[in-house]
Amino acid sequence: MPLSLTKHRFLLKPLFLATLLLCGLVSPTQADDLALASNTVQSKMVKIYGAGGLKGLEAYQSGFLISGNGHILTVWSYVLDTDYITIVLDDGRKFEGKIVGADPRLEMAVLKIDSQELDHFSLSKSVTLKPGARILTISNLFGVATGDEPCSVLHGIIAATTSLNARRGAFKSPYQGPIYVLDAISNNPGAAGGALTDSQGNLAGLLGKELRNAQNGTWLNYALPIAQLTTAVEDIIAGRTRPRSFDETVKRPDNPHTLKSLGIRMVPDVLAKTPPFVDSITRKSVAEQKGFRPDDLILYLNNRRIDSLNTLVNEIALIDKIDEITVIIQRDNNLINITLPGQ
Amino acid sequence: MITLSNQQQWLFKQLLLLVVIATFCCTLTQRVTAQDDLLAQEERALQQAVNQAAKSVVQIEVLGGLETDNDGPVSGLAVSDDGFILSSAVNFPPSFTSILVSTPSGKRAAATLVAHDYNRNLVLLKVNTTEQYTTASPVPNAEVIVGQWSIALGKIYSREVVNQSLGIVSATNRIWGKAIQTDAKISPANYGGPLIDIQGRVYGILTPLSPRGQSPTDGTDWYDSGIGFAVPLVDILPHLEKLKAGKDLHSGLLGVSLKSGDIYDLPAEIVAVQPKSPAQTGGLKKGDTIIKINDMVISRQAQLRHALGGQYAGNTITISVKRDDQIVTAKATLVEKLEPYEHPFLGVLPDRHFTEQGAQIRHIYVDSPAQQIKLQQGDIITHINTEAIVDHNALRLVVSNFEPQDQLTLTYLRNNEPTTVSLELGRAPQQVPTISAHANPAKAAPAGTLATGLIDLKLPEEKNECVAIIPTNYRHDVPHALIVWLQAPGDPDNEELQTQWIAFAEQYHAIVLAPQSADPARWNPSEVDFIRKTIDNVLSTYSVDRNRIVVHGQQAGGSMSYLVGFAHRDLIRGVAPLDAALPARMAIKANDPGERLAFYAFIVKESKLAKASAAGVKRLTMAKYPVTTVQLNDKAGLSDNNRLQFLQWVDSLDRI
Repeated sequence: MPLSLTKHRFLLKPLFLATLLLCGLVSPTQADDLALASNTVQSKMVKIYGAGGLKGLEAYQSGFLISGNGHILTVWSYVLDTDYITIVLDDGRKFEGKIVGADPRLEMAVLKIDSQELDHFSLSKSVTLKPGARILTISNLFGVATGDEPCSVLHGIIAATTSLNARRGAFKSPYQGPIYVLDAISNNPGAAGGALTDSQGNLAGLLGKELRNAQNGTWLNYALPIAQLTTAVEDIIAGRTRPRSFDETVKRPDNPHTLKSLGIRMVPDVLAKTPPFVDSITRKSVAEQKGFRPDDLILYLNNRRIDSLNTLVNEIALIDKIDEITVIIQRDNNLINITLPGQ
Repeated sequence: MITLSNQQQWLFKQLLLLVVIATFCCTLTQRVTAQDDLLAQEERALQQAVNQAAKSVVQIEVLGGLETDNDGPVSGLAVSDDGFILSSAVNFPPSFTSILVSTPSGKRAAATLVAHDYNRNLVLLKVNTTEQYTTASPVPNAEVIVGQWSIALGKIYSREVVNQSLGIVSATNRIWGKAIQTDAKISPANYGGPLIDIQGRVYGILTPLSPRGQSPTDGTDWYDSGIGFAVPLVDILPHLEKLKAGKDLHSGLLGVSLKSGDIYDLPAEIVAVQPKSPAQTGGLKKGDTIIKINDMVISRQAQLRHALGGQYAGNTITISVKRDDQIVTAKATLVEKLEPYEHPFLGVLPDRHFTEQGAQIRHIYVDSPAQQIKLQQGDIITHINTEAIVDHNALRLVVSNFEPQDQLTLTYLRNNEPTTVSLELGRAPQQVPTISAHANPAKAAPAGTLATGLIDLKLPEEKNECVAIIPTNYRHDVPHALIVWLQAPGDPDNEELQTQWIAFAEQYHAIVLAPQSADPARWNPSEVDFIRKTIDNVLSTYSVDRNRIVVHGQQAGGSMSYLVGFAHRDLIRGVAPLDAALPARMAIKANDPGERLAFYAFIVKESKLAKASAAGVKRLTMAKYPVTTVQLNDKAGLSDNNRLQFLQWVDSLDRI
């Protein structure tokens, strides 16, 4: 039985076109391979605007989404030192960013915006790279992209893997762990917090803050491997570093530690969020014995992040006098662990 | 037999087409996978190359040393299995105490610096070890093609694993024929290491180089810039035995001065042949134009630099010159050092406004050859030997072809009467003559519209500030001296500057230009170029005497004045450092008959820089530069009397 021509002609044409279209889409060039990767990562990137803008300090940095409901991984820096952090998504939508938590030891912070079903990198699917591997870095370096403009993609290779503490004194940074040294001029102003991926767009690292090699005076292009950050990020998201005093139902001990009994006098509480700097130390106190000094900045108390003087006072009130306290302080560029014994 | 209807045939054809397209499409998908393979394969090939060459890359630790910006490990390349290592000279600061080099087993062994290649900024080390190194093979020059992959290797992060930077070959025959250029990131992270190809063969040794200078650190300001250099290994290997024997390699010098001007335009015409130089021994003469070096045709000065740039001392070259429509061919064996040239001295200052044929005398130096033959102010010099003198610039050039103590005859006009006398040339005196300011030309000055007093000369494209003091009696028909003042680091006080200089500037017709460092705390050597731009800016607007452009600087500004003076020989005629050291790593370029350079050093007795300042003066004197030294007692700066004498020195720089 002869087939009805008109009917099939009708069918064939779209098929034919579709086939051609498919051919066009998968046109095989090297650029397309990388282009595919850089396109898939763009929707996961964010631009972060905050404090700064004076004396050559840029008021912006980069970041990327790590959960569908708005968690963002970025570097911990002065840009976040404000009550108004603006997050701009790849499509140009603007959100207010809240700091969920930060880990100054890793120079990393997790922010959150109020949104759902966002395209994101999954930390658990991150990859580890070897020297010589092709890489892409995606960031808003020099703040060149605004609104819905895509972030800048740089291409290069892994120049070396090393550790920032491998050469004592070379890199003055609180983070001293393993890094990827990048063969790309990736770490310029605004790039910190950007993503390092392999040539397929799989997440591999977080671009670090600008850092100079004190031994040879050159600028370092580098990223922190995601594996170094995963646990800390999970702790932050799960609230394990959140001050207990934020929870109003928490049980208070009858006889807690106080700053006075420890021998620590803090700076006056004059701001909404006064940074918890030590003003002076009582002579012959526990704090003096354990090595506290004026101008130390208290960052952590029992592994919970202290963001202000107020939080510090509330948090100490939750620790029973018989329990010991672990404190992490920042002194100049160094992070120091101090344990204060229970009494 | 089945026969198909037309319709069926059509349908069949369409289906067939679809199958063909589908197959094509599948092939494409396969090609995508193949493409992924290709990328992966390329990455593997690059890594294989890296792994192969990495065996020859060593880590070097240099302990001790002065004026170093790098106290971390550096890199090198093994070029013999018994432990000879090539590296960049930039890695070895003056007076380092010891060298440690990684061995194939991952240990460290002591090494000694065997020899320098001063022409290509390299060094050869010998490691004291019985371990066997692996050497890499070089890429022949003919196989170096722009656009090929190139990978720069260093070994600064660990003794075992190399750090790498990927790029392509960007150019060949760079820096006057010495280097391959790459866009891989070249920096202290890989200086001394190799640049390799995708087969793991070595293009060359990575080292900073600059078209502007030959100090070990010249070119380091281009680190990670997209411009990096490697000296081809094939160019060094023929000289390796010489280096192994502890013999340094030096740039080969010929000993000719060419006409000043645009080197990309002017032919290589010789204006002076240095006495006792290979050029003189080979028979080259003033007035010859070089047209060929070996097989390379030379039509412009720049080509001569390309031909000679990579030549070592000891190389014999064939030179063809054009002389009076004849072609003369000569041979010359290049030397490492020319007998330092010393400018001869006649003992006169010329009248700058004399417009007729000859050079009229403005001033006669006491006890000079000119005074001995009883020349007088107002006499007009018309001939040296048989050569006619057009003006005072021609007289200066002709005299510069002689040496002190050479005999010559001089013809001059006095009251239109010519007289010819014999004389013996002398040496330039240290003393500055006490001279009053040059009288202005008689014709009336054109009404000027140019700004005078303290003016702002900031260049729009530069972040540095720059001011100038223009005498209020500025006249465009009076060629002015130009004093470039480089202050010691600190905030500038332009009002004070004006108070100090304006009276002298007006008396001696000098413009004071004060470019300032971008960072108030320090001068950056790369700001030499910015300073040149500010000078060019003044030259394009104001009337400046090219014989009297002087750079004067205090402390760090004084060290900068040395850098500027030697970097811009075509322009700068005097350098006057105040309480400043001559940078220890700076190579002093040979004194040149054509491009004169004189020095006026203020040494402050109480200063901690006094010793270094005096050492600089000694080096310059050894190189036969004319140096005048003034001792100051305190750090308060220059007194009015110091400034007056200094301006008289500036005014006498067109001496002959």
